[in-house]
Amino acid sequence: MEAAPGTAAAAAKPAKSCKKYRMGKRHANIYTYQEPPHSNSDEDISEEKADSQDPEQVFQNIQYQKEVMSNIRCRPWPMRQKLRVLRQAKEIVLKYEGRLTRTRGYQAAGAELWRKFLRLAYNFVVLFIPWEMRIKKIESHFGSGVASYFIFLRWLFGINIVLTIMTGAFVVLPELLAGAPFGSTVSKTIRQEDLKTAQDLDTIWSLGGYLQYSVLFYGYYGSDRKIGKAGYRLPLAYFLVGMAVFAYSFIILLKKMAKNSRMSLASASDENYTFCWRLFCAWDYLIGNPEAAESKAAAIVNSIREAILEEQEKKKSKNLAVTISLRIIANILVLLSLTGSIYIIYFVVDRSQKLENNKRELTLWEKNEVSVVVSLITMIAPSAFELVAALEMYHPRTTLRFQLARVLVLYLGNLYSLIIALLDKVNSMSVTNSIYSIYQVSNNSTPSSATGTPAKEDTLSATISDAQMNSSESHAQSLPTAGSLVNNTASSNSAQNQCWETYVGQEMLKLSIIDMIFTVASILLIDFFRGLCVRYLSDCWCWDLESKFPEYGEFKIAENVLHLVYNQGMIWMGAFFSPCLPAFNVLKLIGLMYLRSWAVLTCNVPHQQVFRASRSNNFYLAMLLFMLFLCMLPTIFAIARYKPSLSCGPFSGQEKIYDIVSETIQNDFPAWFNSVIAYISSPVVVLPALLLLFMLIYYLQSIARSLKFTNNQLRMKIQAERTEDKKKVVQMAVGQNLVDIPDDQIMSDFTQNSEGTRFQSLDGSDKRPDKDGGLISQESSVRASTPRKNGSVLNFESPVSKGTRIQTISQTVPHAVPSTDVARPVNTTPTTSASLTPAPSVSSAQKPRNDHTTNRYPSVVHGSASELCKTKPYTPVTFKKRIGDVHSEPLFRKSIRQVNPDAFGAGAPVFVGRRPHATRYFIVNENEPRKKSARSTSRLQRQFRIEEPEDIVELYPCNVRRYVVQTPQCMYSPHPSEDEEDEEALGRHYVKRSHRPRSLSDLRPAPRFYIGDRADGHVLTSKVHYKSWDDGFELDLDRPPYAYKKVHLKNVEADQHYLEPQVKPKTKHMLEQSLTESDSVSIESSSDPQNSSNDQYIQVIHSKEKYLKPGTKLTKKKSNTNIELNMSEPNELVCSNV
Amino acid sequence: MGNKQTIFTDEQLDAYQDCTFFTRKEILRLHGRYHEMAPNVVPMDYTKDPDVKLPMQLIINMPELKENPFKERIVESFSEDGEGSLSFNDFVDMFSVLSEMAPRELKAIYAFKIYDFNTDNFICKADLEKTLNKLTREELTAEEITLVCEKVIEEADMDGDGKLGFADFENMISKAPDFLRAYSSSVLP
Repeated sequence: MEAAPGTAAAAAKPAKSCKKYRMGKRHANIYTYQEPPHSNSDEDISEEKADSQDPEQVFQNIQYQKEVMSNIRCRPWPMRQKLRVLRQAKEIVLKYEGRLTRTRGYQAAGAELWRKFLRLAYNFVVLFIPWEMRIKKIESHFGSGVASYFIFLRWLFGINIVLTIMTGAFVVLPELLAGAPFGSTVSKTIRQEDLKTAQDLDTIWSLGGYLQYSVLFYGYYGSDRKIGKAGYRLPLAYFLVGMAVFAYSFIILLKKMAKNSRMSLASASDENYTFCWRLFCAWDYLIGNPEAAESKAAAIVNSIREAILEEQEKKKSKNLAVTISLRIIANILVLLSLTGSIYIIYFVVDRSQKLENNKRELTLWEKNEVSVVVSLITMIAPSAFELVAALEMYHPRTTLRFQLARVLVLYLGNLYSLIIALLDKVNSMSVTNSIYSIYQVSNNSTPSSATGTPAKEDTLSATISDAQMNSSESHAQSLPTAGSLVNNTASSNSAQNQCWETYVGQEMLKLSIIDMIFTVASILLIDFFRGLCVRYLSDCWCWDLESKFPEYGEFKIAENVLHLVYNQGMIWMGAFFSPCLPAFNVLKLIGLMYLRSWAVLTCNVPHQQVFRASRSNNFYLAMLLFMLFLCMLPTIFAIARYKPSLSCGPFSGQEKIYDIVSETIQNDFPAWFNSVIAYISSPVVVLPALLLLFMLIYYLQSIARSLKFTNNQLRMKIQAERTEDKKKVVQMAVGQNLVDIPDDQIMSDFTQNSEGTRFQSLDGSDKRPDKDGGLISQESSVRASTPRKNGSVLNFESPVSKGTRIQTISQTVPHAVPSTDVARPVNTTPTTSASLTPAPSVSSAQKPRNDHTTNRYPSVVHGSASELCKTKPYTPVTFKKRIGDVHSEPLFRKSIRQVNPDAFGAGAPVFVGRRPHATRYFIVNENEPRKKSARSTSRLQRQFRIEEPEDIVELYPCNVRRYVVQTPQCMYSPHPSEDEEDEEALGRHYVKRSHRPRSLSDLRPAPRFYIGDRADGHVLTSKVHYKSWDDGFELDLDRPPYAYKKVHLKNVEADQHYLEPQVKPKTKHMLEQSLTESDSVSIESSSDPQNSSNDQYIQVIHSKEKYLKPGTKLTKKKSNTNIELNMSEPNELVCSNV
Repeated sequence: MGNKQTIFTDEQLDAYQDCTFFTRKEILRLHGRYHEMAPNVVPMDYTKDPDVKLPMQLIINMPELKENPFKERIVESFSEDGEGSLSFNDFVDMFSVLSEMAPRELKAIYAFKIYDFNTDNFICKADLEKTLNKLTREELTAEEITLVCEKVIEEADMDGDGKLGFADFENMISKAPDFLRAYSSSVLP
């Protein structure tokens, strides 16, 4: 908030003076701006706008801000920061947009308006997603598996709504509005003899009576070619809608599946992350119900144990013979039950047909036998399969798949045997119809039947076989038998009025209704009452009902989903013959939704084996598609094969149902269209078209195959690289150990003996942090914007990290974080500032300094800018020479590979025209490995820790001592407990440390710098981490929550000022130097570690001399470079004087 | 939304919608949830941006989090002070990240934080052990735990440093088929 005016002011300044000014401004910000440590990000944002004067830049800036606004929600910042950044971005956009050309302004305004509208619309639409809350609630109780059932149900509901609208709008409504009214024609009147029973309950129940002659069924629709004043072609519409139902279902299904598979990223399942996934993706964050959580935890334990077992005995196979024989038995059992169920259905349908033929009055049971039996089978068989599956002893997942497959086959078998039996019946009906009409014409000659006596006295089998024969054989053959049958049917059933389409529709609707009843009953019985019993009887029962036998009902996702699929299959199958079936299904699904969700919430426990059917899983959809296809076949078959009933329905009098299309084309389209159609449908066109299709399919398939191949190859490549990397790492780790030894020796020797010569080296390394103070300045300036900077930065670190290492050794706790701290700031700060400082400008204050340093390190080999240009070859060299960082190379390459694309994506708009995005990330990511290496070394050296650093202090000459003091400083940071290492704790240590040196008056500058460095490092550490992991996000915007910890800390600690100023000067320091560009600086940065062992000595000496007056010099330098610094200076001085 | 009183100004709601994956209604509902946890502390009027924080204890008792083995870590990861107390902003933020609309990358970042128990920016063995123990309610034996930890690191550790950095973690998690859904939570009405 304080930053806002400041930065705004900065923005207002003309661009020329901008550089310096801004620099100062930033420091001012840092100083004034203490409470939110993440303020930098805001400031950095506003920084972007500061250098925008020409319209293009303004435009780009605005674009950038807009981008920030648009994907701010995807950034991992705390909300407060997001809100602030958003507000600032909006302000900037508002402020600067006016400067752009008018069209751009309009465009922007339009876009804004559109966005608002979209949001409004979205808010509005969301309100209308049904059951959202209900599903969410279930989701939060039972996890996503159960919820996926309801989501699937809702999706089916949506489909059925569309189907209902289609049939309702184009078929049912026109018929109701413009068709012939009830009772006007034969097909629309109830027969006289049925009239008296038409309103009986059982007639209505079996969908007879008035219901049979209603828009519910095919038979009611008139066959007039055109109805109403507008001449609505109802028969054509009926046919087209019937086809459209299938077409729509197919399209929507395939679309959904395609979307899902796109979403699921073509997951490479052969990726071997079994344990990782089981660990990190195990918990379902939706679970909010204790029982669900319980079973989930148990499931996780199981799955982990399973994985362990699989891992341990991958090749073991126990008692194959028994399991195989068991499995064979199980499969035989399943097959038997499948065939049994199919036979029962067929038998029942036949029996009902026979009963209809023979008996006048049918009981309620007899009327509903078929549907009840089918529903019963669908209810019972899955449980039977489950029992059988227990025999097989498969892996639970496999068991589930088998179970699903079997249930699906069962459902399909049921539906198919039912429809085949029905069609059989239809067949016989139409045959008898035609025969009957023939016989009517030929004076109804009573035949001398082969069976002789009327069918009534015959055995059941005889009549059945007769019926069979009739249906399957030709008229001529079965004439006599048919005759007898005709008599029967004519007498008892009045075949003319039979309308097989209506009959099929009736059966399907009946099936659907009874299925619904059974579902409701099963929910009530199996779930609700069982739950009640278990709940209330368990207190007075001899065993624990809740955990032993009956338990609570489980919600079996897979079976329930399959049931939905089956249900939808029935709808598809019957929709052509009963146009209102989708509408009925909509009601059914609504009821099911409420009932199920209620039952789940009240009396179900989640399934033990949680079946993870994610939303993006195509499994259900694939089953549904399969079902759709198979359900479409009988309908299509019936349409294509059978002659429509003569006396009823829109297609009466036609030879085939689809004739309506050709008829319409012939009669109502111009002649040329006719001929075109004729051509198109002729083999001349059809055959080539088919061929073309085949070729296309083949072509696409081969493409898919090749893509798969390349995919596999790429994956293999990745894998190979991965293993290679691992190998390299191992090698390097070995190498590193070797190299590390001298280092360690030095350490140990040093700490134990504290000899002069070694001190020098130590000294050098110790001093390095200080030197860094200087080095950083040049180094950071180097890294203004070219890729070579990497090189320099890299090298640069080497001394630092070394120093670090040494420090860590002396530390009591082998803390990872502190050791890295020092290494970090060097890279990070520069990188941040790199993004900020656009052009290399050499400030006068900086130049001498640069020369200075070059002089100071004469031994440095690669100094020239030209050398720096070849970063790539260069880097490895340094790596190899450097001790600690050897193995970081491959890693760092890897990380770059990962990072870069993202970096470009996010960063591009801002830094247009600047190359070094890659570089920047490069640097950042390099940190990681280095840090790691530093850490590993620290770990290695743990044992060399020595307790008496004070000695060292004694040994040193006075000017040296102040550097050596750092060691005790570090020493001073013993963490009391090793296990709990918090950032916070760390921070405190810094603060404490800072107290220490304060007391030693002559140590003033060194501790200050050092601490500054450290503290800085501390803050920046987290920053770096962040950068490395959310690669896509801008460095400058990026602020870790860890930073807050510092704030927090500040509040806790009394002397917050102490820490703060120490942080500040450092940052400022680096930032300001970042503005100056001099490649020569990289010279000393390139001081190889190899040399560095030598160099260090030299350097040490040099620096010793230099550091005789360190405090003053450094401060002077600062004051030179920056006026604003003065502000900070007193602060520092005060601090150090305490 | 002028039904009873203004909880947020329109700009605030807009800003929240920009910063989260929620609709207006959901934000208001979230506020309701936040409010009902501590009706005395949380004001109904948020137009002034009051500085109210609820302690972790309250928040982890929400039904959405209650059963989550990592609830403390979740709350800590989202709290600005790192100690688990959440302001309303943090609260919204948390559920925004946990919402099913949030992209994979964002979730991965926070998932990593959640599993990084000691906040050293690495998932080390100790973290893995803690994760396992929380996940399985300490039902695994010590050997099993060690084995699983070793396996996990062996699988995912690309740079061979014996622990998982974020790069490792992201690489691993991004290939998990049901990662997105596993890290989604929803808020009750």
